[in-house]
Amino acid sequence: MKRVTEYLKSLLLLELAAGLWVTLKYLFKPKYTLRFPMETIPRSVRFRGLHALRRYPNGEERCIACKLCEAVCPALAITIDSAPRASDGQRRTTRYDIDLFKCIYCGFCEESCPVDSIVLTDILEYHMERRGENVITKPQLLAMGDRFEKSIAANRAQDAAYR
Amino acid sequence: MADSIDQAGEIRSYTMNFGPQHPAAHGVLRLVMEMEGETIIRIDPHVGLLHRGTEKLAESKPFNHSIGYMDRLDYVSMMCNEHAYVRAIEQLVGVTPPERALWIRTLFDEVTRILNHLMWIGSNALDLGAMAVFLYAFREREELMDVYEAVSGTRMHATYYRPGGVYRDLPAKMIQYKESRWHKGKDLKRMNAWREGSMLDYLEAFARDFQHKVDEYEELLTDNRIWKQRTVDIGIVSPEQAYALGMTGPMLRGSGIEWDLRKKQPYAKYAEVDFDIPVGTHGDCYDRYLVRVNEMRQSGRIILQCVDWLKKNPGPVMIENYKVAPPKREDMKESMEALIHWFKLFTEGFSVPAGETYAAVEAPKGEFGCYMISDGANKPFRVHLRAPGFAHLSSINETTAGHMLPDVVAMIGTYDLVFGEVDR
Amino acid sequence: MSMSSDPMILLWTLAKILVIAVPLIIAVAMYVWWERKVIGWMHVRMGPNKIGPFGLLQAFADVTKLLIKEIIIPTNANRFLYFTAPLLAVIPALAVWAIIPFDNGAVLSNANAGVLFLLAMTSLGVYGIILAGWASNSRYALLGAMRSAAQMISYEICMGMALVCVLILAGSLNFTAIVEAQAGGKGLFDWFWLPLLPMFFVYYISGVAETNRLPFDVAEGESEIVAGFHVEYSGSAFALFFLAEYANMILLSFLAPILFLGGWLSPFQGWHLGWFSQPGWWWLFLKFFIFATSLIWLRATFPRYRYDQIMRLGWKVFIPISIAWIFVAGLFKYFNVVTIGH
Repeated sequence: MKRVTEYLKSLLLLELAAGLWVTLKYLFKPKYTLRFPMETIPRSVRFRGLHALRRYPNGEERCIACKLCEAVCPALAITIDSAPRASDGQRRTTRYDIDLFKCIYCGFCEESCPVDSIVLTDILEYHMERRGENVITKPQLLAMGDRFEKSIAANRAQDAAYR
Repeated sequence: MADSIDQAGEIRSYTMNFGPQHPAAHGVLRLVMEMEGETIIRIDPHVGLLHRGTEKLAESKPFNHSIGYMDRLDYVSMMCNEHAYVRAIEQLVGVTPPERALWIRTLFDEVTRILNHLMWIGSNALDLGAMAVFLYAFREREELMDVYEAVSGTRMHATYYRPGGVYRDLPAKMIQYKESRWHKGKDLKRMNAWREGSMLDYLEAFARDFQHKVDEYEELLTDNRIWKQRTVDIGIVSPEQAYALGMTGPMLRGSGIEWDLRKKQPYAKYAEVDFDIPVGTHGDCYDRYLVRVNEMRQSGRIILQCVDWLKKNPGPVMIENYKVAPPKREDMKESMEALIHWFKLFTEGFSVPAGETYAAVEAPKGEFGCYMISDGANKPFRVHLRAPGFAHLSSINETTAGHMLPDVVAMIGTYDLVFGEVDR
Repeated sequence: MSMSSDPMILLWTLAKILVIAVPLIIAVAMYVWWERKVIGWMHVRMGPNKIGPFGLLQAFADVTKLLIKEIIIPTNANRFLYFTAPLLAVIPALAVWAIIPFDNGAVLSNANAGVLFLLAMTSLGVYGIILAGWASNSRYALLGAMRSAAQMISYEICMGMALVCVLILAGSLNFTAIVEAQAGGKGLFDWFWLPLLPMFFVYYISGVAETNRLPFDVAEGESEIVAGFHVEYSGSAFALFFLAEYANMILLSFLAPILFLGGWLSPFQGWHLGWFSQPGWWWLFLKFFIFATSLIWLRATFPRYRYDQIMRLGWKVFIPISIAWIFVAGLFKYFNVVTIGH
């Protein structure tokens, strides 16, 4: 009897029909994909995207050129030169370059930074058009920080309990 | 074609180059095949096209700097690779992470296993022509990657496991979709239905629903006569052969050998969770397919148990040994000693007592091991990574010669090759 | 009809050819769009949705892209054959439309030997594929061509046998006559699918195999031999193969209703439901749409057969069934079991 039913099942292509039924059901279901440039998937507050250098609320840059990020960077993507600032003699970076091609976005730089200066923002859509643009410089990083300070601060505040 | 006919006019077998640019090559596999018509006489895998020297690179960096590179070995089972590396360090240093960290590791090892098996079922089915499974599997992958992102901040290369625990505790809030022109009101509510609570609530909802999703994949494939014709009796590996060829993971279990490091040499919290090891009987592609599908279901079970424990037991996720793990950020800002530890740890890492160790985890593809020698410095003297894919790929001539060209594709699918780990 | 003596007839025929060929090419473009859309929906995606409303202009954008792309000729390819092959594939695929009726009388050539012309033209298409595979000077292309040749020849037999069954019942090689033979008072139960049910399936599945569609697309076998016979083709030469394949799919979706499902006859014929019982071209196009969509559905769902398994299915399953059913059809005819026409 079992063999007969099995034979009939195979003759009637039942298992193929079951597969077709699955795809047919999905034809009418709401779609999972999003219209990407116009809407995006949710982004975590811990997201590790493009880098930025932050400032204190009074406009002073946070970075004190301790070079911890440079030391911890596994990909050796960060290059820092430092010198006393001309105006007040404080130790500051004269050069802060990040090579985005080398960076592996591990987040160690942000983790190590004692003054919360270098951060990884939640920006992941960026591109370069010319050779050399992959190295972002200090003014660019500070500009990034100025521009996105609000979201950077909000994300850090939300995750503060876990840091 | 001229070279396949010799002077006597006799037709010899011809060679065909499969990859490294080939839709079914899963990256950069290059096979040189000696063929007679569609039948394969001999098959010769060429590896090394994705060699990045990870092992050598690890020798040049303090121990904790190389975690990020472990993600990039088998880039579809990221945290499992980290786990092996981090465990090797912990064994040498002699620290044990807090219990909660071990549970989190168990949880994420299983999340990773599902991620990997989803990738496998999708690409194996796509290689054999079934496109639907691929996209359904990627939908679920997307959901699990949101979990990765929620805890670590990246969707793939997490750098989440650290010697002595994990990077940060699980977030209390799951990330949610935002309103847009196309998704608002009820629709948005449906999309965020699982995301209202914590990340653990989300994972629980996912794990419960996932069994139905696996049912769907099975409906599309398991009984399908075309799928069976393409996989049953293809690439049979006998138990003896499987041992001899150094196979591990589903490749070994598909041949009927019940060997799983999670049971045989439990690590993390595997001794405390309840799950079964699915085994095959015949050792063909179809059996390995069934084994992996079943493993996905078992992983769902383990996830539920981990979620249950983690919900009930809050606690630290990182040891308070400042030689290995950094102090809390707030402490660093307040205390001089913490600041010194902070600077010491992030500049020169930590020194590991001289010795050697081997730590292996049951990665989704098989036994992923890390053999580490320390000479007492802050950098490893030598790191060797035992990638399961490499052993599997080297058996391709034994398993596939005599089959036809489309079966090679089925075999590559069932090997579940990822060249990040094969070439290292 | 002597064409040279009457230029008006020649012009009229040319006009009719254009009236069929231009919408056909547009139909191919829209069919590609519909395929991508349906497959997308079945895969919980959205499909093309950026170019034009609902992505409707996507296919035209793709055509434009293909036409302005460079055609790369492989070294040591046989240039003459390399460029002849796409033409050989596309010409029969378009020529066969001469004998397809869209309604009673709406046909370019109401040839009495229509079925023979159909068989001849569909068999010619395989030469384009074989030549493309050989002329490309690539082993992947050659393998694709060999597979394609073997597959097409074996499934041509089943398809021919299925046609023979229809011929026996209808008693004519003329497509219009075949459709009219399915008229009657019992609605859709007067159509040939009922007495020829196994042949209907054999015809449909052979048709899928003949057009190289999943689950029988080993000639292209994207994940095995990359793109099979047209792996070395690019630009407009590739576009011609593409056009031929989709024109053949549309043809199959027209032929199955014409031969087995009453063409333009209403499924409620003879049931006196007013407009619903009237025959008309819209019925044919509705049936065509269902068949065309079903081809997409198959592609969205199934894995691909292996080449030797397809051969086994063709020779060991379909051909015996076909031969047996020709005998059965003969018995039907002899004992007048099936009513033919009104």
